[in-house]
Amino acid sequence: MSAEPAAPRRTFAQRVLGEHPTAWAFVFPAMVIIVGLAVVPIGWSLLLSFNSADLIAPAKWVGLSNYDALMRDDALRDAIRHTVIYTVLFVPISVALGLFLAMGLNRKLRLIGLYRTAIMAPYIAAVAAQGVLFSFIFDQRFGVANALLDEVGLPRQGFLGDPDQALYVIVLIGIWGGIGFPLVIYLAALQDVPRELLDAAAVDGSRRWATFWHVTMPQLTPVTIFLVVWQTLLSLQLFDLVYATTRGGPLDSTVVIVYYIYNQAFELFHAGYAAAVAYVVAVFLMVMVGAQLVYSRWRTRHA
Amino acid sequence: MSAQPETATLAPEVRWRLPFNPWHLVLFPTAVLFALPLIWLVLSSFMSNAQINQFPPTIIPDSLHLDGWKTVLGDSDFPRWFLNSTIVALVTVVSNVVFCALAGYAFARMRFRGSTVLFLLILLTLIIPFQVTMIPTFIVMDWLGLVDTLGALIIPALVLPLGVFLMRQFFVNLPAEIEEAARIDGCSRLGVLLHVAAPLARPALAALAALTFLLEWNDLLWPLIAISSDQNATLPLGLTTFQGQHTQDFSAVMAGNVITVTPVLIAFLLAQRTFIESLTASAVKG
Amino acid sequence: MARLTRLLAVLAVAAAPVLALGCGGDDDDSGGGGGGGGSNGKPVEIKFWHGQTQGPAKLLQQMIDDFNKSHPGIVVSKDAGGVNADRMLQKVTAGLQADNYPDIAYIFGSDLANLAGTDKLLDLSDAVDKGDIDWDNFESAAQSAATVDGKPRAVPAFIDNLALVYNKKIFDDAGVDYPTDDWTWDDFLSTAAKLNDEDAGIAGFAWPGTGDEDTTWRIWPLVWQSGGDIVNEDGDAVAFDGKSGEAALGVVAKAASDGSVYIDGTAGSERMQQLFASGKMAMTIAGPYSLPEYVDGKIDYGVASLPSFGGEHTTIAGPDTWAIFDNGDERAKAAITFMDWFSKPEQQLRWIREAGSLPLTKDVSEAEDYDAYTKSLPGLDKFIQNTELARTRPTIKQYPQISQAMGKAVAAVLYGKEDPSAALGKAVDTANSELNVPGG
Repeated sequence: MSAEPAAPRRTFAQRVLGEHPTAWAFVFPAMVIIVGLAVVPIGWSLLLSFNSADLIAPAKWVGLSNYDALMRDDALRDAIRHTVIYTVLFVPISVALGLFLAMGLNRKLRLIGLYRTAIMAPYIAAVAAQGVLFSFIFDQRFGVANALLDEVGLPRQGFLGDPDQALYVIVLIGIWGGIGFPLVIYLAALQDVPRELLDAAAVDGSRRWATFWHVTMPQLTPVTIFLVVWQTLLSLQLFDLVYATTRGGPLDSTVVIVYYIYNQAFELFHAGYAAAVAYVVAVFLMVMVGAQLVYSRWRTRHA
Repeated sequence: MSAQPETATLAPEVRWRLPFNPWHLVLFPTAVLFALPLIWLVLSSFMSNAQINQFPPTIIPDSLHLDGWKTVLGDSDFPRWFLNSTIVALVTVVSNVVFCALAGYAFARMRFRGSTVLFLLILLTLIIPFQVTMIPTFIVMDWLGLVDTLGALIIPALVLPLGVFLMRQFFVNLPAEIEEAARIDGCSRLGVLLHVAAPLARPALAALAALTFLLEWNDLLWPLIAISSDQNATLPLGLTTFQGQHTQDFSAVMAGNVITVTPVLIAFLLAQRTFIESLTASAVKG
Repeated sequence: MARLTRLLAVLAVAAAPVLALGCGGDDDDSGGGGGGGGSNGKPVEIKFWHGQTQGPAKLLQQMIDDFNKSHPGIVVSKDAGGVNADRMLQKVTAGLQADNYPDIAYIFGSDLANLAGTDKLLDLSDAVDKGDIDWDNFESAAQSAATVDGKPRAVPAFIDNLALVYNKKIFDDAGVDYPTDDWTWDDFLSTAAKLNDEDAGIAGFAWPGTGDEDTTWRIWPLVWQSGGDIVNEDGDAVAFDGKSGEAALGVVAKAASDGSVYIDGTAGSERMQQLFASGKMAMTIAGPYSLPEYVDGKIDYGVASLPSFGGEHTTIAGPDTWAIFDNGDERAKAAITFMDWFSKPEQQLRWIREAGSLPLTKDVSEAEDYDAYTKSLPGLDKFIQNTELARTRPTIKQYPQISQAMGKAVAAVLYGKEDPSAALGKAVDTANSELNVPGG
């Protein structure tokens, strides 16, 4: 694409494959697996979305009517709303808390190994275990959480049994179980912040907050972009936790998009419709991620 | 969020008054809060159904119940599942570290035709939920003759799109000047990656290894579809055989989870020191 | 790296099968019949996805060994339980799409009608006509659950029904008389309210609140008892609208407003099971499969028929099935032989005893240990008698949608968000619109 001004004569390979033809050798193995395994699913589910199919009986071509139906689906709108609520809470909190804890854990303290392990532990525990665990802790009548509230003299809560609270309790469990990821990534990224920069800032007598904001944070930007994108994808694909704890209840208050897709495809035998929903969501996200990518490129180029 | 600037700015003033680092005030309660549910998980694996359901809840059971542990350790293909999980996790960790580093480096450092399209394709595969791609992936595994083998678990996870994305973001951030110096010294691109970039990215590679391991170690949805035989089951899949349609062997489920989590926790406890080695020097003054 | 080249080869042809999606049955050249062989003396091998948990799975292993020994021409493969029954349908679906499916799989009764949409699911009519399967020997409730559009499409695998189980100690402590077989729902509700005690940590009874089939199937007996049905005779509209549905939901509404019902919001409603087993609940509406857990919890319990509205004490039977798939005539025949052997009294008794099922066949009572079986658990005999009062859900394709619509109504009433008639109205509308759009 953008021709370097002083570029010497380019080889044939460079003209066909771009400036660095060897790059193809670097990405080839990864692309074989990723693209290889993605082509079939992407094509398959696109075709499925134009069919009335239960994945059992022969499918029937229905053109765009699945897409037409989803425009008028109130339950889907609710699922999208729940997913958005989960996402706008989960992403910023998990990323900010992950950074904050990483700053704290990135130092030499007594017990630091235990701290790190304890805070990482929930991420290591499988989601299946989390389901059983929290159905006990947040049980309305017999759970530990309400026992604690009794102790303190606060009113009991419905938690997962209350349609107005369940989604937020799931956000809480999601953060508890998911914080390990941003934490590890930030811990790794903080190793890359050059010491000279920090030292220089310390000599300058910059206040810690200023050092953090002007020295550390810019260094962490690519990783933060990654984390925001990834945590967003993760929230939009929330499924396991809902499946293990509430199955979408009470009163559908925790039905999120992927749970909705799962229910349509595998409980209600509307697989074609489920594929259409997945496609609409995917295209929408793709546009968002693409825009973000273009924007961040534009920014780095003009920084 | 808002707590973060406050603590960061407050820290220096408060520090000289406390006999210990003020971070303890944050980290200790957080660690306890995060660990408590899991400690209860461990304890409950030694409880009977009645003890677990006691209200108000008990923390220390009045008698030990080893039934769950006996069921898991003595009565199932447990060692086999453990071995399978280990094989799948280790193979995918190695291959992810190698291939994601290669691809991530190319995307970060080299301009080549198709890079944007390929990168968007990677993101696309991240976006479509697994619930939708599960069945076609199964069809592909069937063509490859891998259904109900560990291969069906390993092949799709050899290169995780997430890993390529992660490594790209890390390499973008490394100072390019050092690499360019090496280039001038006559190093090939691969040489630069091996001798200059990869050592610098060691923490990132370690993070990638840890994440791949966890993803594969805990994965349940895909093994449910891809594996049918007991002898090819992974730990999470094997553990589902304790959770029945109408009843579940609760203490066995808990014991199984403890067994699944413990080796990983120990590994993390041991690894975190080397994993975050390079920081200790700079952290002394923090 | 040989795998990689193979993968590449596959990519090249990736587009072709994608296009075949709309065409249903492919030629069977790529089919799952890898075992092949057969007629030339080699034993026929069949795959059996039983979906059972550890205990029953162990028993099945032994039974498979016995079968393989006594039937040299057939090998039922071992160690291939598939997944647990909850996820079986998903796995079978993937298998059907890839043309790589087992010979026998454990399928929930409520899923069978949809599975019957493919002719890869064997039509057992011929086998029944020829006497390869002794169909008349199955209990009528089990028969009807395995029959779709008048044709036998599976072999009954499991059956249970719902009865009222009560904790004697809680009744004694409160000085309340035990439930009887003549109870009405009013008796039930007033007793539940009397025994419910927040401070002592005792719930009157429980109802699953997730709104799935667990929530729904408990409401159907009440609908039947008050003269309604799930669908009408023509199958083009629901028959639980109006009086019958309102009466049924009215019971739920009363319990909810009394606060005497513990709403179990967990996946799989395991909480209510555990709570009764640990003496925290006065009564529960449960199946026989729960009894071993109650015995383990050392609960002194009694079993009574479901209450009624003054008429019949109708209950519901929840049957599951062994679905047999078409992997060629030889394997199908072998699978049928295995299933027929499996349904003989001696085998049948071993199976139902371990799986916690009620008798599926009429002649199982001829088995030697039958009396010992009926006495193996307190109250089991009551459930066996209860079978006479049991009805089953219709095997129609739209049942899952109807179930979810009604499940939502029950949950809305349980949580006190809607009154019975409003909730019912929505459920009836949703379900009727599903019934009017065939195919889905």
